[in-house]
Amino acid sequence: MPELMSHVEFRTALENAIKGKSANKAPFSIAWASGKLSRAHLGKWAENHYHYVGPFADYLAYIYARMPAQYVEAKDFLLANMYEEEIGGDRHTDLLIRFAEACGTTRARVIDPDNMTATTRGLQSWCYSVAMREDPIVAVAALVVGLESQVPSIYRKQTPTLREKYKFSDQEVEFFDLHIVSDEIHGERGYQIVLEHANTVELQQRCLKICEIGAQMRLSYTTALYWDYVANDIPISEIENVEPKVQHAERQLLQA
Amino acid sequence: MPRVTFHRDGQAYLGEVADNTNLVVRAGVKQFPFPHLRYGCGMGKCGKCACRVLKGAELLSEPNWKEKKRLGPGLDEGYRLICQLWINHDVELEQDRIPSEPPSPAVA
Repeated sequence: MPELMSHVEFRTALENAIKGKSANKAPFSIAWASGKLSRAHLGKWAENHYHYVGPFADYLAYIYARMPAQYVEAKDFLLANMYEEEIGGDRHTDLLIRFAEACGTTRARVIDPDNMTATTRGLQSWCYSVAMREDPIVAVAALVVGLESQVPSIYRKQTPTLREKYKFSDQEVEFFDLHIVSDEIHGERGYQIVLEHANTVELQQRCLKICEIGAQMRLSYTTALYWDYVANDIPISEIENVEPKVQHAERQLLQA
Repeated sequence: MPRVTFHRDGQAYLGEVADNTNLVVRAGVKQFPFPHLRYGCGMGKCGKCACRVLKGAELLSEPNWKEKKRLGPGLDEGYRLICQLWINHDVELEQDRIPSEPPSPAVA
């Protein structure tokens, strides 16, 4: 029978749950990290990624509406997060579209929901479902701690790769740059909220479980990108061949 | 650990931070230099976090394209965008009461 964890123990458990068991093995991520993808492949990633991260403020809005009124700091955090995603500076999705256009696709293709895979649609639906139906603290654990908090370390690794191996300009990869600061704040404040308000054994266990599920959803999404867009161009045997040469940390960080 | 001296409104605030710290991230999670450091978008666009570097400027990374675009001649006056800096050495910063306006776009 699990016991109530201290904040330190609970944070460590959350971090372990987020890592997942095999998320660093997705062939799309390995191909990305090793410089094997074409700009067309990256464009397909952008066309899908838009539908995963594009509605992030929408997801947060559902959580905001259901967050108990007495959790003032948590509500304020969600509101600030929504603002920053959309109108705090450049709209984050506009920067993703700028990257997509540098990959050779178009704004119209990116925003067209018919251009995402079924698995991406599943990930988006899961995010909506969690936001609408889960306990709001569990939902913050899933979407902010489980998904958003991973972004800075991922993009910190991805940005130099995009510049050095894929030869994108600074402006073209700004989408990846900005998340290093804003999502670091969001992720850490998400942790603070979850650590403070997941104050029963049941809530802590639900938060851990949903972070594990989030890692699985992310892995499914990334894996599908390889099979749907890359497999015909780069056989899996070639990916497996290069896989040991790609640093473990780099692969892991390419998952979100 | 880097020591940061932060001046604002005639007051000086001192703090130690971990290596490779972004002060806007720190303020965003309500740690020093919160609540004194003003910041905005966190993406090098709004310029609200701009500070003049009084000491330690030579140890900071070169200004990136966002700082060049937002600060323009302000860079020569010692201003940097704090959201774009990761601190690894002692530094002394001063933030104006009113954030500076972005430079006018060059006339073609």
